[in-house]
Amino acid sequence: MSVPDYMQCAEDHQTLLVVVQPIGIVPEESFFRIYKRISAVSQVNVRDSQRVLYIRYRHHYPPENNEWGDFQTHRKVVGLITITDCSSAKDWPQTFEKFHLQKEMYGSTLYDSRLFVFGLQGEIAEQPRTDVAFYPSYDECETVEKRIEDFIESLFIVLESKRLDRATDKSGDKIPLLCVPFEKKDFVGLDTDSRHYKKRCQGRMRKHVGDLCLQAGMLQDSLVHYHMAVELLRSVNDFLWLGAALEGLCSASVIYHYPGGTGGKVGSRRAQGGSLSAEAGNRHRPGALTSNGINADTSAEIGRAKNCLSPEDIIDKYKEAISYYGKYKNAGVIELEACVKAVRVLAIQKRSMEASEFLQNAVYINLRQLSEEEKIQRYSILSELYERIGFHRKSAFFKRIAAMQCAAPSIPEPGWRACYKLLLETLPGYSLSLDPKDFSKGTHRGWAAVQMRLLHELVYASRRMGNPALCVRHLSFLLQTMLDFLSDQEKKDVTQSLESYTAKCPGTMEFITLPDGLKLPPVPFTKLPIVRSVKLLNLPTSLRPHKMKSLLGQNVSTKSPFIYSPIIAHSRGEERNKKIDFQWVQGDVCEVQLMVYNPMPFELRVENMGLLTTGVEFESLPAALSLPAESGLYPVTLVGVPQTTGQITVNGYHTSVFGVFSDCLLDNLPGVKTNGCTVEVIPALPRLQISTSLPRSAHTLQPSSGDEISTNVSVQLYNGETQQLIIKLENIGTEPLEKLEVTAKTVNTKEKLYGDFLSWKLEDTLSQFPLKPGKIATFTVNIKVKLDFSCQENLLQDLSDDGISVSGLPLSSPFRQVVKPRVETKPINPQESSKVGDFSHVKTLEAILNFKYSGGPGHVEGYYRNLSLGLHVEVEPSVFFTRVSTLPATSTRQCHLLLDVFNSTEHELTISARNNEDLILHAGECQRMAIQVDKFNFESFPESPTDGTQFANAKQLEEERQQAKGLEINSKLDICWKIISFHEYFVEGVLNQLVLEHLQLAPLQWGEFLIRLVQRLWNVECSIPTTCMPVTSFRKSPQFIRK
Amino acid sequence: MADTGRAGQTLENYPLYIRSVPTENELKFHYTVHTSLDVVDEKISAMGKALVDQRELYLGLLYPTEDYKVYGYVTNSKVKFVMVVDSSNTALRDNEIRSMFRKLHNSYTDIMCNPFYNPGDRIHSRAFDNMVNSMMMQVC
Repeated sequence: MSVPDYMQCAEDHQTLLVVVQPIGIVPEESFFRIYKRISAVSQVNVRDSQRVLYIRYRHHYPPENNEWGDFQTHRKVVGLITITDCSSAKDWPQTFEKFHLQKEMYGSTLYDSRLFVFGLQGEIAEQPRTDVAFYPSYDECETVEKRIEDFIESLFIVLESKRLDRATDKSGDKIPLLCVPFEKKDFVGLDTDSRHYKKRCQGRMRKHVGDLCLQAGMLQDSLVHYHMAVELLRSVNDFLWLGAALEGLCSASVIYHYPGGTGGKVGSRRAQGGSLSAEAGNRHRPGALTSNGINADTSAEIGRAKNCLSPEDIIDKYKEAISYYGKYKNAGVIELEACVKAVRVLAIQKRSMEASEFLQNAVYINLRQLSEEEKIQRYSILSELYERIGFHRKSAFFKRIAAMQCAAPSIPEPGWRACYKLLLETLPGYSLSLDPKDFSKGTHRGWAAVQMRLLHELVYASRRMGNPALCVRHLSFLLQTMLDFLSDQEKKDVTQSLESYTAKCPGTMEFITLPDGLKLPPVPFTKLPIVRSVKLLNLPTSLRPHKMKSLLGQNVSTKSPFIYSPIIAHSRGEERNKKIDFQWVQGDVCEVQLMVYNPMPFELRVENMGLLTTGVEFESLPAALSLPAESGLYPVTLVGVPQTTGQITVNGYHTSVFGVFSDCLLDNLPGVKTNGCTVEVIPALPRLQISTSLPRSAHTLQPSSGDEISTNVSVQLYNGETQQLIIKLENIGTEPLEKLEVTAKTVNTKEKLYGDFLSWKLEDTLSQFPLKPGKIATFTVNIKVKLDFSCQENLLQDLSDDGISVSGLPLSSPFRQVVKPRVETKPINPQESSKVGDFSHVKTLEAILNFKYSGGPGHVEGYYRNLSLGLHVEVEPSVFFTRVSTLPATSTRQCHLLLDVFNSTEHELTISARNNEDLILHAGECQRMAIQVDKFNFESFPESPTDGTQFANAKQLEEERQQAKGLEINSKLDICWKIISFHEYFVEGVLNQLVLEHLQLAPLQWGEFLIRLVQRLWNVECSIPTTCMPVTSFRKSPQFIRK
Repeated sequence: MADTGRAGQTLENYPLYIRSVPTENELKFHYTVHTSLDVVDEKISAMGKALVDQRELYLGLLYPTEDYKVYGYVTNSKVKFVMVVDSSNTALRDNEIRSMFRKLHNSYTDIMCNPFYNPGDRIHSRAFDNMVNSMMMQVC
């Protein structure tokens, strides 16, 4: 006896073993179809009694196990059913011969046998035979079940007769000694007449009768017999049989206590029968005693409670039995099976600890050299039993060993498929699932070192199975979930093998379905690289869409009646979905910035990294990046172009790392910071590109409003010079440019600026609109720089003082002559004057030109774009008027205006004024020029209506008057300078302040005085405020002066 | 010479700390300790019916294998300590094992008192290391 039946359970002791075998050539499928139908008849209510027979069918049973049939009768093959395929009558004798041969194989133990012949028709089939049944085909055999029942009844008759025979032949005849195969030689030459021997024979026979009773459905009787057998055998120290008797006792008790069965798998089938048996046992016990003429020994009424073991006793007895079996090396299989049976019982009793002890014992039972297949079977069954007692880890451990055994190097054809299948079954035991989502949150589950090992084995098995896709999936899973536990070297090894596998079969995001229906979810590499934050970026300033003001009203949320409320409905869940307050534009490249880092100890190449979006058709432009080993946070910008409008949600990103494609959804990423993932895409807008005639500037304007300047240009001009700035407007977008608005803003104005700094005519440009994509329009801006031409404020002050003294006595030259020498003493030579004031000081002016433009569908929706051009003008000094004075002319209506002009340029220049010849000034030269001008009357200008209440208004009027006066003077003087090698420029409106006082008519002296006072107080301010230069503050109010 | 592997475990049953002498063939101890958790679970659930607060923390011998004896200990917060010793080491009797566990438990309590330690993290404590080392040296 060498082949253990690991599936055995205690209730198998009450079954009759029937072997069903094919002879000749029977198609396997057909055979098993018939076998299935036969084995469905597993319990039969025997006619005339309420006893139930249980049948155990086997289609394969080693004859050497049959030899142990006397030891435990359920091991004995009592019935044989053969199935054969016989198509013609002439094959029949041969077939029948084979049937007989087959019968001889189990001949010694068989009670009865049957032959089922399929396919044979005709004369032979007509003969009524009890042992042969003929069926025309496998499909027409309705009576099989009936036949089997008849067969079982015939078995029962034999069994019953044997039972009665054995039970009654009590004392008279000599009781034969039953023995197991290996004992036979031990009893040679033994004294058969000794009491000891007789007792042994009796004990063994009693036990045998117990077995028969159990099989015949007489549970209580069998208990009695077993008890007696135990006592008899114990007295003669026949340990092997004592063990068997104890086990029989246990089996009977188990059958009584657990009618549901202990087998588990076949439980449902047995449930019905089991309950019947218990019931039957109860019911017919008294009757059985009388009607069947049982021996007087058994009729001695022993209480049922005493006969039947209690659940605790069952285990004790099993232990005892196993310890007796353990004494015999040849009874290893019996011992092993007893262990298995006991474990099944304990599993039902939920006594896992004791069960594990039995199992532990079973592990150490050393059978003869097992074949690999048997080893696998053994480990599998151990695993199953451990599972049953709730030891999932132990179960997984053995299952894994079984799996390894499937592919042991000693096996010529390793069963990698079986190995893989078994390995998959171990997963729950190691609290491992193949869904990476289970590992994405919280701490790692399970025992990483052991899990890693298992995953490696899965990878290896799937590779050997020739399923590279599966292999890649497992390896990806290993890398993704065990990354924290892999050493640097392991990381390298794993990625290397992954790369080599993916070269043949790239990893995908599809589910892999195994033949047995298990689905392996895809494994996105969310940790390669690890993403820490996702930020949707606004468009660059020049491309940002703005909503037209007039339409803003619609945009305001109508959710709340309040414009502002401190109570904001915060909800954490919505944070990720919150909307962002900027928009993206259809057709424009939009960016998302990820902060990533590489946890690997080597450079990580991420290919084909792009965005996953929903809501809007989005053309993702994938990027490839290479992250250095164990990099810190590393910014990565992913770009794409929305093709339609609406709400776009960035759900995640896709990558290709080591040849594995991953779609990583942000929802599944732990610890990712994001500023929101949903943004609105507005319809397409044109794009404007500006190029100018001027060189680009290195200066970057820093406007206060936060607008960014897309282009900066710079130009260098002499004070008073005018230059044209030609701006080329190119529509580089795809939509026509329909609207354009231009505004200018001066920044950083420390300098006094006169006249219009920038001026343009938009009409000329607009006439070229709408601008088709790719077309260019030009736009011309005039830049005029007119800063103060007086060399210095303090110098001006001096002059003014001088002026006062002059104005005190107009037209009276004597006093003036007195004063004049004093003025003359002022140093005029350039060297000294340059010391006094820094003439070469370069002043800068900066302005921003804003182009608001719109067009296409975006314009319909009310959006525009804003493009800013920064203009940086460096103003070099040209001429300075260092001194101004007047001399009376021949007419009282006229006077000579004397101007000291200083050329601070490095060029020779000429100064000209109305009615005057040109004055040539060399570089650094200072000369006086005299201009004869008419005096004029300011009376023609409206006086301010001295309205004290309208403070600002008064100021404005004052300014206007100043301006008007300035213009008047300018038109009269018309001074201009030109550098001979360059163009001509005007010195407009600059001198008015200086000159004003000198040119006024005498009768208006009082008025002039007033103005002069104003001038003096104002002289720090610009005399002509222009539209370009807003007056920011007044140091002194003219109102104050008037009072 | 005794091989000892020890592990502190939490409810989720992942190792907080594992250490063995000698270090080769460590995976074997991983398996041993991992499978021993079945027994620990079983013992705890069996005890669950008894008074929880008066529970004996020491679980005793979990199971003997051919070469090793596996002992278990569970704190009231269900942190498990498992000790694997060479079965040939006869110097270690139940009392010694018990006191070793108590020492381990004390040391673990010290770790938990560290405000910078997150319960559930793997233990990286020099004090704990030293204590385990000294205990292993003593046994060997």
